[in-house]
Amino acid sequence: MNFLENLPLAAKKLVLDLVEAACKWACAKTGITLPDWGLSLILSLVSVLLVIVTIIVVYLVMFALMSVLERKILARMQNRYGPNRVGFFRWRLWGLLQPVADGIKMLTKEDIVPRGADKIVHFLAPIVMVAPALMLPAIIPYGRGMVPIELASGILYFFALGASTELAVFMAGWSSNNKYSVMGAMRAIAQMISYELPLIMSAVVVALVAGSLSPLKIVEAQGGSILNWFVCTPWGFVACLLFYISALAEANRCPFDLPEGESELVAGHLTEYSGFKYAIFFMAEYVGMFAINGMLVTLFLGGFNAPAPFLSFIPSWCWFFGKLAFLAFSMVWVRATLPRFRIDQMLQFAWKFMIPMSFASFLSAAAWCYSGNAALAWALSTVIVGVPYLVLGRFCFTRHHAVDNRRYLYSE
Amino acid sequence: MHDLLQYLTSRHWEPAPEWLFLIPALLMLAAGFAAVVLRNLIHCALCLTLSFIALGVLFIALGAEFVGLVQLLVYVGAVSMLIVFAILLTPASEVAASNNPFRSFNLSRALNAAVGGFIVLLVLGGLLAAIAFSPHAQAAVLPTTAATLKPAAIGQNLLTQTLLPLQGAAILLTAALVGAALLAKEEKQS
Repeated sequence: MNFLENLPLAAKKLVLDLVEAACKWACAKTGITLPDWGLSLILSLVSVLLVIVTIIVVYLVMFALMSVLERKILARMQNRYGPNRVGFFRWRLWGLLQPVADGIKMLTKEDIVPRGADKIVHFLAPIVMVAPALMLPAIIPYGRGMVPIELASGILYFFALGASTELAVFMAGWSSNNKYSVMGAMRAIAQMISYELPLIMSAVVVALVAGSLSPLKIVEAQGGSILNWFVCTPWGFVACLLFYISALAEANRCPFDLPEGESELVAGHLTEYSGFKYAIFFMAEYVGMFAINGMLVTLFLGGFNAPAPFLSFIPSWCWFFGKLAFLAFSMVWVRATLPRFRIDQMLQFAWKFMIPMSFASFLSAAAWCYSGNAALAWALSTVIVGVPYLVLGRFCFTRHHAVDNRRYLYSE
Repeated sequence: MHDLLQYLTSRHWEPAPEWLFLIPALLMLAAGFAAVVLRNLIHCALCLTLSFIALGVLFIALGAEFVGLVQLLVYVGAVSMLIVFAILLTPASEVAASNNPFRSFNLSRALNAAVGGFIVLLVLGGLLAAIAFSPHAQAAVLPTTAATLKPAAIGQNLLTQTLLPLQGAAILLTAALVGAALLAKEEKQS
């Protein structure tokens, strides 16, 4: 089983050895003497490239699989078949080749840019969207010794890049010169800004307890068994739920998919995008969803750690991707279950419930850290998150606003 | 070239070679200039965001990873969105009136601009000089080594040596938030 555990690292070493051998062979053949730093430069470039290519390929394959599995799972939950036609000659393969067909369709479609659009910004928006999304996965620890980039402030890197998608959404919405696009973009930005606060606060809670902003250190702090995972503490449980809900909102997933609410806004900021630019937005959204779920696994669900010591014969990276797959499935499940929020409900929920609760979980984590014995810590931190939950839950959602008093402002 | 290779191949903390500084710095200056002279206000805001990004890259290239990332998080994620919202929520007629100061040139306006620019330069220069030559400022500056650039060291410094300015900034921000909420609320009632 040690073999499986080290398989990805061994594969990387093998490729690097092959490149080194090939370089030496080429030098000997052509008679060029390569200086020492030349070889080390080539090797370090190749190792960086390997990491980049692996991340892009893995996430694109997950995106392709997810795009078809999501439709199939939704179909199963709604008692219908879902995509099951696309196959290879007479083998249907349960419709699993659907993403290939979708990709070919997207690539061959006409790229339409509205005449009144701001051409440069309209062209740049998908790039600004997809580049940070593909950079997000770089700091997540996928397995033992499998961290693409070890940053001391990795958590900060993740949220700094995640914040830049707002810019891309705004660029897309504004440059399209379409009222639905602008309204969708305004909604999306209002939503992302509102839910970014609880998202970051609940990550800060973990950083406080683990005493580090490095994802690897946070994962190592949760080693051992499932009891050491941060989700199994009162503050961690609350922060984990807050993070999950905010992740749904940040990834524009149902019930927070109102920026693209097709019954009201056509497709929000994506209305004027077609062909491969649309596909790029779609891809960035899914890659961002996987990345933020990977962050959730890292912060709260023990990262690559097995839930019990006797289960550690299964390689660590399998645990990571298993947890990731479960979270992705749960997001589809939520989509099949819940209706869409109205915008005022969405904003009220963020500012009146999520943010106070994230502060409560922060205080609770502080009490957990600085109260001496375990029983006191459990009691204190449960009370500190429990009381605000009861109070907020009682008083935030019981007041019903009369429908006729509703005013239509820019973002509604 | 050799220092660049060393920077790229080393796995430890190391400041980037000095001439690499030029790439983000020139980008930042160009974007900042574009933000001033472009006609379309949204383009100006986007260029300003680009210059914020370049500043963040500059910090990271200097080895101040934490500061650079905070710069990206705060300025690209929040401040630029604030500017964009402010532009979009300003009525279009006001935007058109203040849109292009370069179209109609007249002498008194140019003189006003020159005097205003001179005053701004004087104040900023004075401030910079005061910061640069004040012994207190020099004492508060941490030596930039790998150890002091760590997030933990920065946090330690923020909560010990520079606690008072931090709290002052917090009060200022809270006051601004309360004021903004008050203004927004009044507008809704009218």
